[in-house]
Amino acid sequence: MTFPRLLKMLVIRNIREDKFFAVLSVIGIALGTGLFTGVKVASDRAISSFESEIHGISPVATYEIYDSAGTDFDERVYPTIRRISPDSLPVIRTFGFLPAWKDAIDIHGIYSLKAARFLRRGMTGAGTGRGALFSALDWESFYRTENGVFVPKELCDRYLLKKGDTMEAFVYDRAVTLTISDMLPAGTLPGTTVLMDIGNFQDAFRKTGLLTRIDLAVDEGTAGEIRAILPPHLAIAKKEELIENRKGLVTSFRYNLQFVSLIAILVGVFLLYNTVFMTVVKRRTEIGILRALGMERKTVIFLFTAQGLLLGLVGSLIGIAFGQLAAYFSVIAVEKTVSTLYSTIAISDYLLSGRDVLMSLALGTCISLIASLVPAYEASTIRPHETSREGSFEGRYRPYERALACAGIASIVIGISLAYLDYRYAPFSFPLLAYIGILFMIGGFTLVSPFTLVLMLKLLKRPAERFFRSSATLSAGDLRGNAYRFSVALMSVATSSALIFSLLIVIFSLRGSLQSWIDRNITADIYIKPASCKANYCFAPMSEDIVRAVESIPEVEAVDRFRGLHLDLFGKKVVAGFFDTGVKRTFLQRRHRDREYETVLREMENGEPVVGISEFLAIRHGLKKNETIEIQSPAGPVPFRIIDISSSYSTTSGYLAFHRRWLKTLWGLDDTTQMSAYVKAGADVGDVIAGLKARLLPSYALEIMNNRELRGKILDIFNKSFAITYAIELISIAVSLTGVISTLLSLVIERKREIGILRYLGTDWGQIRRTFVLSAGCIGITGIMLGTVLGLLMSLILIHVVNTISFGWEIQFRIPFLFLAVLSGLVFLTTVLAGSLPATIAKKIDPKRFISFE
Amino acid sequence: MIRLERVEKYYGSHRVLRGIDLRIERGEFLAIMGSSGSGKSTLLNLIGGMDRPEKGNVFVDGDNIAAYSDDQLTLYRRKRVGFIFQFFNLLPNITVFENIALPLLLRDSTDTSRVKMFIERMGLRGKDDAYPYQLSGGEQQRVAIARAFVHDPDIILADEPTGSLDSETGMMIMDTIRQVVRETKKTVILVTHEPYIAEYAERIARIKDGVILP
Ligand SMILES: Nc1ncnc2c1ncn2[C@@H]1O[C@H](COP(=O)(O)OP(=O)(O)OP(=O)(O)O)[C@@H](O)[C@H]1O
Ligand SMILES: [Mg+2]
Repeated sequence: MTFPRLLKMLVIRNIREDKFFAVLSVIGIALGTGLFTGVKVASDRAISSFESEIHGISPVATYEIYDSAGTDFDERVYPTIRRISPDSLPVIRTFGFLPAWKDAIDIHGIYSLKAARFLRRGMTGAGTGRGALFSALDWESFYRTENGVFVPKELCDRYLLKKGDTMEAFVYDRAVTLTISDMLPAGTLPGTTVLMDIGNFQDAFRKTGLLTRIDLAVDEGTAGEIRAILPPHLAIAKKEELIENRKGLVTSFRYNLQFVSLIAILVGVFLLYNTVFMTVVKRRTEIGILRALGMERKTVIFLFTAQGLLLGLVGSLIGIAFGQLAAYFSVIAVEKTVSTLYSTIAISDYLLSGRDVLMSLALGTCISLIASLVPAYEASTIRPHETSREGSFEGRYRPYERALACAGIASIVIGISLAYLDYRYAPFSFPLLAYIGILFMIGGFTLVSPFTLVLMLKLLKRPAERFFRSSATLSAGDLRGNAYRFSVALMSVATSSALIFSLLIVIFSLRGSLQSWIDRNITADIYIKPASCKANYCFAPMSEDIVRAVESIPEVEAVDRFRGLHLDLFGKKVVAGFFDTGVKRTFLQRRHRDREYETVLREMENGEPVVGISEFLAIRHGLKKNETIEIQSPAGPVPFRIIDISSSYSTTSGYLAFHRRWLKTLWGLDDTTQMSAYVKAGADVGDVIAGLKARLLPSYALEIMNNRELRGKILDIFNKSFAITYAIELISIAVSLTGVISTLLSLVIERKREIGILRYLGTDWGQIRRTFVLSAGCIGITGIMLGTVLGLLMSLILIHVVNTISFGWEIQFRIPFLFLAVLSGLVFLTTVLAGSLPATIAKKIDPKRFISFE
Repeated sequence: MIRLERVEKYYGSHRVLRGIDLRIERGEFLAIMGSSGSGKSTLLNLIGGMDRPEKGNVFVDGDNIAAYSDDQLTLYRRKRVGFIFQFFNLLPNITVFENIALPLLLRDSTDTSRVKMFIERMGLRGKDDAYPYQLSGGEQQRVAIARAFVHDPDIILADEPTGSLDSETGMMIMDTIRQVVRETKKTVILVTHEPYIAEYAERIARIKDGVILP
């Protein structure tokens, strides 16, 4: 019963008195946990959207048959399969794009009757009653209406659609109008799945006789039986394996963002730690008295942990709301990134589940516990008579300064070694070691910071005293005497400037490298692809009419027809591109001289089986130039010699570049999924595009861009996919700068008495302000110094380890010196301003109160 | 010479000083006595330029400091006043040497010879680089005295300087103060409860209910 009283007396009152800091730390925790949760939810939803895409509409299917090149295949194989396993569902599917809402849908063409049976079978196990729901649908309209579709209720709700409405969609290379024959009750199918009768589908989209896959509910034995009779271009695989394979796509995205949000959490922990620590310092007299009166140590620990927990709990509650917001934006970001870099993915669900909420709360509670335990323990070590001796509270840490610094350096070395291990061996598919390494480094820098501060003081004190006299002496004393508390501010500056620096270096380097990639790859005058395809690479062929139409335009000098395929390489899906190397080479030098690439292209034309691979594959599989890799083709495995390894910024799943001839000889295909055209010298590209549009757009839905537009779009996509990272980092930066203000402010509040003494001694406000500003400035300079070193290390790791492992992007390390200098100046200015704010507050203190009345 | 004329000081509606008239000659050693809460510290704050009276004048060598601006008061304290407090009030984070040098530093003086001299005089040799918390109470008070004298002010204001010391150390401190004052001919105003401390002064003024007893 006394505990609640004590809680109220010490904890609640503390929080009320230091509202500002309480609010700050609550915000810090809220942002950290919110971001973390948001990112987790986004990647979870991406994964479940993969799952539902692969499971399709048949929950009982365990295997699927698909074309290993990722193309549609001839349905005539089906009767044989059906004979072995009647539990099979042929599906043709594609992604459609709804231009009105800029949203993707997953269109399935199904044999309705068969699907209903298939589903009813699933029903007996799961008891979802899907079968019954299915029989209530308006099948009449579904079959009869041109482009009649069943649409999930979720989609209808989102865009205010109802039965009988129509919606405009880009499907393959055309624009079509889909009619909603009926609504699928909520929860039956993923919110983006649209059903169509397979006959109607094949007819409407000119896919007669084609299937995308066959879903099977079979056991391993039957699967083996089927495998034996499949033609070579078809593969049968377990759904679970396909899902696992697909998850890899979001892993890097997920871990990168989660890492960044971890930094935000770290900043929150800093703030909370600082808040609790401050109260301990402020209340040390009371703690001393209470201890003298017989309060147990564990009660003291309990009291201050309770304060931290209380703040942490409030923070994580707000964090849930923020997490929901973050989830919404991360879902958009994941969708965009995966859609452009791999292939379309449609996520409709971004709401936090009960488990996410619990996880978020648990996370917030855990970190606030950690953040408050240390200062709570410190509070418990306060001795009853400690209060009368000024300065002894901080003083007792002094002997550990060197030990801490040594531990810090050790930690930094460990961090660097971990990152190096990842760089050399990359034992995981995402840069786990590098991330842990960065955390170790941040931890190490934190431990080193008090020592660094003291060292800086030794260096700066004399020269500063020459210029600033008493203010310098006072400021140096202050910094020295409160080295530990100032270290918190120091680390806030250091982490925020490290974040700023590393981010800038990464952006700058990436942009530079991207620019040279664009120069090499974006060489044509006109780019054409189906409007339904929002990814960088498209896999559904365009009508030959389009190709012919482009070729027939007199101003067009040459056309490069590109074909994208999904190929299996070492058991993973990679993107293969087949293009006309001759055309590419001929026009390469028009915009940009690249002798090396010219040689590569020439070699591809020789007729030898050679391939260019992306750095990602080289890193993942330890491949080198002139080694041979086996490419799986319908004609069996074919050895290709690697002649080029280059960065591919257009995909994150690995890329193979082939001469177009292999498409025909090995896959028997000669179609085009996207194309580019070169215009004759003197002709106006704008006019040609206008002519093309006039001729093609009435019957086709195409995206036609000129060179400049495509370049702009690529850069834009990049900026967008990094936008969330930028946002998170900006938040962390803002929060850590408030950390600086909070520490300085807390010092004024504690320093009331000393300011009083100084006033008695005839110190004017200018001198007092100068003292604070000097302290802040010293923190700023030291923090920026540490931050620069940390930021450089971090950016090296981000560029050479994290990027290469997670995206396979080799980036040229570049330092934007001018930018960094300007930014350091700004950070410095911010800290100095942060320093003059407390000085203003100090002015309000009545010195007599703290001197006369002891 | 310090002269207070009909000085009144209010805290809100509470009239702490009710018309103080007091004259202190240059070089005089005055003790002020009175019960707790009678307004001794308030009076010292007025003379020391920490505060201004609501009514009345405080003349220091002919200038009315009651009419000074904040900046003028700051300068006045810095140049002309030395404070000694009951609880020493040293700055915890700077060394003994720096604490003593502070008033000089505040005036941008780099001449530290006087600091060294006072360290010697106060028997603080070897403690230059110590921090206040490493000193005993008596030593801390000696540092505070050195700080009050180092910049050679005309007026020394001491508010119960021996209040938190035992009587032996207190007398030692008083001996030191008297000795330095005699040599430097400073005006000293000392607030104390202890009659034996008051005896160090040349004159004793008693304050009661906000007025000086005749
Ligand atoms: N800042 C203030 N606000 C309100 N009242 C004040 C303030 N400072 C002093 N007082 C009041 O003025 C009166 C005189 O205070 P002062 O500190 O001058 O007494 P004192 O004679 O020095 O007492 P002591 O011997 O206990 O130090 C007291 O009654 C006190 O309550
Ligand atoms: Mg008093």
